[in-house]
Amino acid sequence: MDLTLSPAEEEFRDTLRAWIADNHPGKEPEGDEASFAFRRDWQQKLNERGWAGLTWPEEYGGAGATQIEQAILFEEFARSRAPQMANVLGLTMGGPTVIAHGTDEQKARFLSPILSADEMWCQGFSEPESGSDLASLKTRAVLDGDAYVVTGQKVWTTFAHHSKWCMLLARTNAEAPKHRGLTYFLMDMEQPGVEIRPLVQITGEAEFNELFIEEARIPVENVVGGVDNGWRVAITTLMHERAGLAFALQARVQVALGELADELRGTTDPLIRQRFAQVAIEAQVLRLLAFRGLTSTMKGGEPGPEGSLGKWLWADINQALTTLAMDARGPAAQLVDDTWTYRFLRARANSIEGGTTEILKNIVAERVLGLPRA
Amino acid sequence: MNFDLTEDQREIQRTAREWLASRYPIARVREIALDGGSDATWDEIDELGWPEIADFGMVELAVVAEQLGFSLAPTPLASHWAARLLHPELEGRGTVAMWDGEDGAKLAVPAADVADTIIVQRGDQVFAVPAAEASIEPANALDPTRPLFTVRASGGEEITGDHLARAWHAIYVAAAAESVGVAARVTAMSVEYAKERKQFGRPIGSYQAVSHACAQMFLETEGARNVVLWAAWALDNDPDAAFMAANAAKAYASDAAVNVCRSSMQVHGGIGFTWEHDLHLFFKRAEANARAFGDSTWHREQVAATYL
Ligand SMILES: Cc1cc2nc3c(=O)[nH]c(=O)nc-3n(C[C@H](O)[C@H](O)[C@H](O)COP(=O)(O)OP(=O)(O)OC[C@H]3O[C@@H](n4cnc5c(N)ncnc54)[C@H](O)[C@@H]3O)c2cc1C
Repeated sequence: MDLTLSPAEEEFRDTLRAWIADNHPGKEPEGDEASFAFRRDWQQKLNERGWAGLTWPEEYGGAGATQIEQAILFEEFARSRAPQMANVLGLTMGGPTVIAHGTDEQKARFLSPILSADEMWCQGFSEPESGSDLASLKTRAVLDGDAYVVTGQKVWTTFAHHSKWCMLLARTNAEAPKHRGLTYFLMDMEQPGVEIRPLVQITGEAEFNELFIEEARIPVENVVGGVDNGWRVAITTLMHERAGLAFALQARVQVALGELADELRGTTDPLIRQRFAQVAIEAQVLRLLAFRGLTSTMKGGEPGPEGSLGKWLWADINQALTTLAMDARGPAAQLVDDTWTYRFLRARANSIEGGTTEILKNIVAERVLGLPRA
Repeated sequence: MNFDLTEDQREIQRTAREWLASRYPIARVREIALDGGSDATWDEIDELGWPEIADFGMVELAVVAEQLGFSLAPTPLASHWAARLLHPELEGRGTVAMWDGEDGAKLAVPAADVADTIIVQRGDQVFAVPAAEASIEPANALDPTRPLFTVRASGGEEITGDHLARAWHAIYVAAAAESVGVAARVTAMSVEYAKERKQFGRPIGSYQAVSHACAQMFLETEGARNVVLWAAWALDNDPDAAFMAANAAKAYASDAAVNVCRSSMQVHGGIGFTWEHDLHLFFKRAEANARAFGDSTWHREQVAATYL
């Protein structure tokens, strides 16, 4: 056991810290367009430094760095309250999927514009009738010459309105069992067959959208990982990404915790103190789970159960933390403030997005503990 | 950055697991704890070098402590560790007396019957009192695997030094590690039972009310183990974080063991409520351990104080 950084890692952290201090763009502006432009500029700046795709192979514009350096980057970003990068879904899911399962041509075509934020990505998995039971999805893709013709409806598609490419799961084989008839496509959003309608969330923003797809065309060279193999492509990437993502999320929890501590400092209310300590302790547990996950991925093994546990625990903690912040405001929490109201509302989605807590418990029960399927 | 045990630490873990399983199968634990059988394994424990394992490091100690909890071994080893952490020059075997009863009595003192020296806490001070000079009465302990005594001990030699604050936190970590062992064993028992036991024609583990309860046990057990290992490591390597980590470990692991055992009793149904079933032994260890060396509320307040 050794939880310290190597001298090289410390040096990387110091370089990063100094660079962020010199280049921090300040507070994010309000409004979807303004905040999107702000995050895109930030990503471009990072990419010029080689840090947008830190762990990606150098030949595709990455820096070939280790998972630990990636973790350090997440922690430093969180600590300095740096903005998010605009192309989150391309960076955390699309790119890694193409790196793991894509052809050389796909890597050459798609990776660099993800890093430069020239082309944004979204994830078209969920459908109105297929949420937790994702593999039951109905969007159909039928081969027509050198392209697939796609028809169906997607929902909750985050950032679709900014995106050039959609990671689209569609059914290519209606005869096969439900997990074996799906294909993973990269669909060009800029075509007549794709219509995007914004969906407003309880926060009042419209991060996500409905996607109506009517005979959209996807050339065969945009199939990732083989026809009818889409489930495996989708799942392995999700699994591999969760370890890294857990780190980013836990880093943000630590920062929010620090902010809440600043506000609560000196409070003598024993209930608030107890609840705060419980969240602080669980945030440490989450951080350690992320370390564990890193250790197993660094050793080249399959990511362990840390991914599912981490996502589940993170949702619990972030909801507990933001609820505590609201409760500590007392009657003032009836009014919208400029921090906690939004965070509290947004946190309600944490136990739904990216796999509900119930589904994560099913995964732990069935795949980790070997309990029989429900 | 590496969150795995070293090969040596794994070896210690393996030895502890196997040795404790062979000396203290649960039937033997029952015999010693419930039927008043006697335990004569201290010389062997001494030979294994466990009484001094803290000299290797806190992670090593935590690894053995987890196995003590896992096996429910009715040995005074953990009490001896606590005494030796506070009093490094201790000769022979020791135990620690903390909780004040009426007229100078110390309540719920483990292993006082076999100790040579009793380390007595009085306010912020600690004293070493020869057991021969103390009055020692058996008490009625909730946890039959860890007999408790009421001790009256006056005088003694004061123990001073910079090591004391760290020693208390090391004791919290050792106790927390035992709770992790209890949680791990009971989680495994619950999962096994949920696979075997059938109702309505299906294993009960196929019902989410049961399977999600098991998943929750697993989450808390893993979480507790991680936080205990971190605290143990920090006590030797990261003094700035160590005390908060130790308080966090004791609070979280105590709660985890208690939650796991309570939930396990529900998963087991009626059979889990019987004297004959082993679950109540783990349950009682979890409940008692959670209240020894400061309960979770007290430890959480220590964590709160570092932030607020
Ligand atoms: C903010 C946000 C952003 C999102 N972004 C995207 C995106 O970019 N792309 C995308 O494809 N999707 C996205 N999603 C969709 C998300 O993945 C789904 O909402 C989620 O998988 C749940 O599906 P559902 O909403 O249909 O709920 P349902 O699956 O209908 O679930 C309803 C309830 O039933 C429970 N339930 C369902 N099945 C079971 C079961 N077997 N056992 C126990 N309980 C069960 C669920 O846990 C939940 O509590 C987003 C969602 C949110 C909230």
